Amino acid sequence: MELHERVEGVFRRVFDDEQLTLTDETSARDIPKWDSFAHINLMFSIEQEFGVRFNGNELGELKNIGELKTYLINKGRR
Amino acid sequence: MMSEHAQHLTSQFSSLVAHGDELRKAGKVEEAIRAYLEANTHPLQAALCLKLAKSYEAIGNISEACQWALAVVDADDDFTSWQAASRLIQRYAVEIKAKANLRSARVALLGSYTTAQLGQMLVLAASRRGISLDMMESHFGQYEHDIIDPKSQLYAFDPDFVVLAVHEGDLQLLEHSLTPHESIQAEVYRWTKLWRTVKERSRARVVQHNFALPCEVPTGHLAARLPGGRYMMAQAVNARLGEEAGSTVSIVDCERLSSCIGKSRWFDPRYWHLAKQAVALQAVPLLARHTAAVIGADLGVSRKCLVLDLDNTLWGGVIGEDGLAGIKLGNGVDGEAFVAFQEYILKLKNKGVILAVCSKNNYTDAIQPFEKHPEMRLKRHDIAVFIANWEAKPQNIRRIAQELGIGLDSLVFVDDNPVERDAVRQFVPEVEVIPLPEDPSYYTRTLSQCLSFEASSYTPEDAARAEQYRARSQIRELETNAGSIEEFYQSLQMQAIVAPFDAFHLPRIAQLIGKTNQFNLTTRRHGMPQLESFVNDPNCVHLYLRLRDRFADHGLVALMIALRQGAILDIDTWLMSCRVIGRTVEGTIMEHLCRRAEQLGCTSLRGTYSPTEKNSMAEDAYAKLGFDLVSRIEGRAIWGYDLVAKGLIINKFIKTVETWEGVDGVA
Repeated sequence: MELHERVEGVFRRVFDDEQLTLTDETSARDIPKWDSFAHINLMFSIEQEFGVRFNGNELGELKNIGELKTYLINKGRR
Repeated sequence: MMSEHAQHLTSQFSSLVAHGDELRKAGKVEEAIRAYLEANTHPLQAALCLKLAKSYEAIGNISEACQWALAVVDADDDFTSWQAASRLIQRYAVEIKAKANLRSARVALLGSYTTAQLGQMLVLAASRRGISLDMMESHFGQYEHDIIDPKSQLYAFDPDFVVLAVHEGDLQLLEHSLTPHESIQAEVYRWTKLWRTVKERSRARVVQHNFALPCEVPTGHLAARLPGGRYMMAQAVNARLGEEAGSTVSIVDCERLSSCIGKSRWFDPRYWHLAKQAVALQAVPLLARHTAAVIGADLGVSRKCLVLDLDNTLWGGVIGEDGLAGIKLGNGVDGEAFVAFQEYILKLKNKGVILAVCSKNNYTDAIQPFEKHPEMRLKRHDIAVFIANWEAKPQNIRRIAQELGIGLDSLVFVDDNPVERDAVRQFVPEVEVIPLPEDPSYYTRTLSQCLSFEASSYTPEDAARAEQYRARSQIRELETNAGSIEEFYQSLQMQAIVAPFDAFHLPRIAQLIGKTNQFNLTTRRHGMPQLESFVNDPNCVHLYLRLRDRFADHGLVALMIALRQGAILDIDTWLMSCRVIGRTVEGTIMEHLCRRAEQLGCTSLRGTYSPTEKNSMAEDAYAKLGFDLVSRIEGRAIWGYDLVAKGLIINKFIKTVETWEGVDGVA
């Protein structure tokens, strides 16, 4: 499955929204339900899905989906 | 190392799931469900259960959707799936409650860390145990404040349970104390004071998470012999809290849970620093499942009886084909594993779980190992009901429940054979089915992960229970031999001790009040504080009854609470354990109530029958004793008994004694 689709799948499950679509520019501002609580759940779900571990300081900051994907590519495809 | 076969199965699994995903995306939901169902083999996967749940939801089959969402709890602990499943369950909370006759409970979750996820998953895990939760969460770290402030939201919420979700960091213990005894004492006092405050101000039962010790220990192995160090003091606080809890407070043993999954997985420092998650998200499903099981046990929804298959469950091979010498038991890896499994089952029996056998075998073959195999740990007398024949298992399982006089929802069934498991799941869905793994070495672990035998208290009656049920089935045999029913009653040589409630019996009394569903006239679930106030009320008559016959001591099996209202003695609560139904115990306890009524100067008795889903067997209880119907409103019946006109109710079949008198057959 394509990376974008997998990321989208995680978001859909976390936000419980089957219609949710993401672009590389999507950020927390664009998804109303994306509050600090949802953020924690989201980051953990991404870690589980991709078998990666963010550093503590990376967990808190995530600019947008594009950045997340770049990160996953660099980290995942070791 | 993965075998070729296993690899093949894995790839088959993922391609089926991927196929299902594509169908789902194309809008062919029904076909997707078929693909998912085909992929769904043992062991259950949470992510797949969720896909099924969501697919069923999409086609409007809400009952299947909910069932699959609940199956997530029995699958793995995938956090994301749990969360989505919990939301699905909450969306349909009203429908589920209406349909499934759930118990409900109000739970206040008081945490010292971020407990929002725990709260969410607790709702799911409780629902899986048949409990619908109304939940209130304290604000972050406000657990002490909420308990101490009498005007807090906690008391306004009026909870049934107060869950103290706290962690090791909350312990006010120094790294090293020169007076460890005093330090421990002070900390234990701080917690028990919170418990007492909750008890004084509400009817809630406290469920305390105890303290998972961290894996980072600066003093290293020395810590294990430094009584003044924080490490040993924290252990001591756990132990002391256990002693203080007794039967009034429940404890979720987080120290054990964290050890089981590994302390480095239990606590993830990143999520602690970022969001004050004192329990790592991957461990939250585990914690939720166990907390729900403890609450379930307190509510009396735990199961009572373990139904066992024989071939390839209690021993390796097939007794009817391999013969006594051919079955695997006691020798080799598998043989030893079966012995270990039997030993674990025996321990369950010793804590009060009733054992039954349900096997497709000739009876004479099936019984042979129990009587002759030297490595058998389970003996015939450990098994309350032993059924071996060639009839369908669902049918036999119904028979087992009937013979034991317990509901199907009190049974847990283990079988190595997936076909039998499926049949039972399908035809007797009330029964919980445990899928055994392929390797018998893991049987014990699998069974230990079934939380349905979680018990709220341990009374001597629990230990003797299995014995009593066995006696009960012997009596059934006697029943068919004895001529008239009077002769039968007489042949039992029954004795009863009837007395007012006392501190020694209160835990058992509270247990019976909490869990008796069938012979329970009013089903009023009085908690400990209420019971204590009854005991102190001079206008309250409270009686318990212990029964013994020539087969067994049945323990405390019946009780009554009645309140004097002028010349009327009004029966608030009357219940009886199902294992003594049909033994005339009703007459004896009523006989004693009549006597107490007379002493109090009452001239009549009044009783109420309030119907529930389960108590129809008690509908005629008052009529059978000669009460007259006073009124009936929507099934709720009021009965009266005129003591002056009719005289005392007497039961001649049970002899009331002060202490047990010697009888044949019982030492």
